[in-house]
Amino acid sequence: MIETRDLWKTYTMGHEKVHALRGASLEIEKGEYVAIMGPSGSGKSTLMNLIGCLDTPSQGEYYLNGRQVSRMNDDELANIRNREIGFVFQTFNLLPRATALHNVELPLIYNGTSSAERATMAEKALDLVDLTDRMLHKPSELSGGQRQRVAIARALVNNPSLVLADEPTGNLDSKTSLEIMRLLDDLHGQGNTIIIVTHERDIGKHAHRVLSILDGEIASDESIPESQRNGAH
Amino acid sequence: MVIFSLFGIAVQALMANKLRSGLTLLGVIIGVTSVMTIISALEGMMGVLEEEFDRMGPSTFVVTVYGGVITSEQQWRERQKRKPLDIEAIELLEDGCDLCDQVCPRVYNSATVKYRGNSLRDIWIVGTTRNFVDIVDMEVAYGRFHSREDDLYRRNVIFIGDEVRETLFEGVDPIGKSIHVGSKKYTVIGVAKAQGSIFGESQDDFAVIPFSSHVKLFGDPGRRFNMNVKARSVAQLDETMDQVRMILRSFRHVPYDKPDDFSLLTADAILDQLNTFFKIFRFALIGVSSISLVVGGIVVMNIMMVSVSERTREIGIRKSIGAKQKHILLQFMFEALLTTFSGGLVGIVLGFIIAKILVAMIDANISPSAVAIIAGLIISTGTGLIFGIYPAMKAARLDPIKALSQE
Ligand SMILES: Nc1ncnc2c1ncn2[C@@H]1O[C@H](COP(=O)(O)OP(=O)(O)O)[C@@H](O)[C@H]1O
Ligand SMILES: [Mg+2]
Repeated sequence: MIETRDLWKTYTMGHEKVHALRGASLEIEKGEYVAIMGPSGSGKSTLMNLIGCLDTPSQGEYYLNGRQVSRMNDDELANIRNREIGFVFQTFNLLPRATALHNVELPLIYNGTSSAERATMAEKALDLVDLTDRMLHKPSELSGGQRQRVAIARALVNNPSLVLADEPTGNLDSKTSLEIMRLLDDLHGQGNTIIIVTHERDIGKHAHRVLSILDGEIASDESIPESQRNGAH
Repeated sequence: MVIFSLFGIAVQALMANKLRSGLTLLGVIIGVTSVMTIISALEGMMGVLEEEFDRMGPSTFVVTVYGGVITSEQQWRERQKRKPLDIEAIELLEDGCDLCDQVCPRVYNSATVKYRGNSLRDIWIVGTTRNFVDIVDMEVAYGRFHSREDDLYRRNVIFIGDEVRETLFEGVDPIGKSIHVGSKKYTVIGVAKAQGSIFGESQDDFAVIPFSSHVKLFGDPGRRFNMNVKARSVAQLDETMDQVRMILRSFRHVPYDKPDDFSLLTADAILDQLNTFFKIFRFALIGVSSISLVVGGIVVMNIMMVSVSERTREIGIRKSIGAKQKHILLQFMFEALLTTFSGGLVGIVLGFIIAKILVAMIDANISPSAVAIIAGLIISTGTGLIFGIYPAMKAARLDPIKALSQE
């Protein structure tokens, strides 16, 4: 489902070139639960942004569901982001003035879903994250864990083929982190393909496969046997 | 439809930031109001002039070597070279122009009129013949207009406008009384019906004396001598004018390859010329007041730029979940257009009210005009379009990752 070949991402800062990715190649199948791990600055977010079609590589190829996205234009990328990918950020990235329901509806606005249908779908997604009783609250009226659950509902609302989470627990305490990870575990159990980025081993161990990244290169690729996983399963 | 949702988002964004939206609105309102005031006021003045020239009657025209609107120096020089109209031309037209119904001479001079202790300065003393009342739109309130004999015997009789009557003869019957025009004594024989005022100028501050008597008092009018001609019918106005033109050309020995050395002015022609003049005037004024619109536009742009940079993160969020460039562009354009459109509406109404107050000072009235309203809306939303597009494009082109990383 995901195939990258020799992905490079190079940032130019003044005269200096920063190679955030140096030829990352990987394959991820449908239904997998993958953690990308590595120290801070190793290129995890850069890789995630490329997989999430928020950015395009400086070099290399990226195929998503058999389509090459590495050379797509802005509008085509926006379309993929809207329909194929659900992105969960460390900082939640919710619209502060909008209710939870409206935040979850947002992706549906841009693909022309009717407002009645939008509301039903958003409520369903909020039900999945167990937040129906908070759906008319604004982000400022919700706890960190609840905000992240709204963000997860937003990521799920369009039934994407891929859920990406970049340090989803980075801004949460350990108890709430566990709640969020359990939710992701459940979503995987329901058949979603999930990729998370983290630098915490405990979090990474919820996944079934860990890709380690060091200085922009994939350093190792190991699958986690069920016995060593951190999930409730 | 995505477009309706984007419109809704724009409305919500405007409502969420009332102070900022209000300020933008104010900028637009000031600009549109000033432009609309000028357009409406000019239209009002034009209306007054049209009404005035309607009084001249649709079947009459003026023969002159002197009058009419001059639009170039060359024209002015040509006018200076024209020889005066001859008084004989009146008889010539009366005999030779069968399409002419009435012909009368017309000369103006301004003078002071006095009765006992009262006096009035700058009164128009018109010198003409008895058929003047049949040609121009003037009615006798009481007494009579002067007769053929009055003219023939150069009688010192005078027909006065209502303002002259009111000022000199308050509460007194003016008929038969003697008034002084300059140093000469005239007997009042009639009073004209009041006509009111135009542009604050009274239309009743005149007096009419027989043409012969006028020449005796003020001397040969020379180039200021005009003729008023009334055609037999409105339908035949053009033919009548052609006939008059032919008669006068041969009388004045104008070579066949030279233009007329006199002018025929109909109410329409005068209005046309005034219209051209007003058009230039209007463009100049609108040009000046457009500066305030540009200022309004810059306010719109400035505030939108602030808004875009403040909402960078919001734009990043929207783009990250699948908003395309056109979606963001439309969202911000809707905000700009909504502001300028509603500012335009308010500006049109305010401008109209101010113009109404202004033209009321010159005793005129205006009613809302479709042209002005449409122009106002086009101008205001055009401003939104022009000045909103840059910030909106800036927003649409933001890179999602950079936008999201902004605090
Ligand atoms: N927009 C950018 N401009 C310049 N350098 C960047 C930019 N984004 C990331 N980098 C650099 O690329 C490297 C990888 O960054 P990132 O992918 O964010 O790492 P991680 O998520 O693993 O902490 C870092 O050295 C970072 O400084
Ligand atoms: Mg990172």
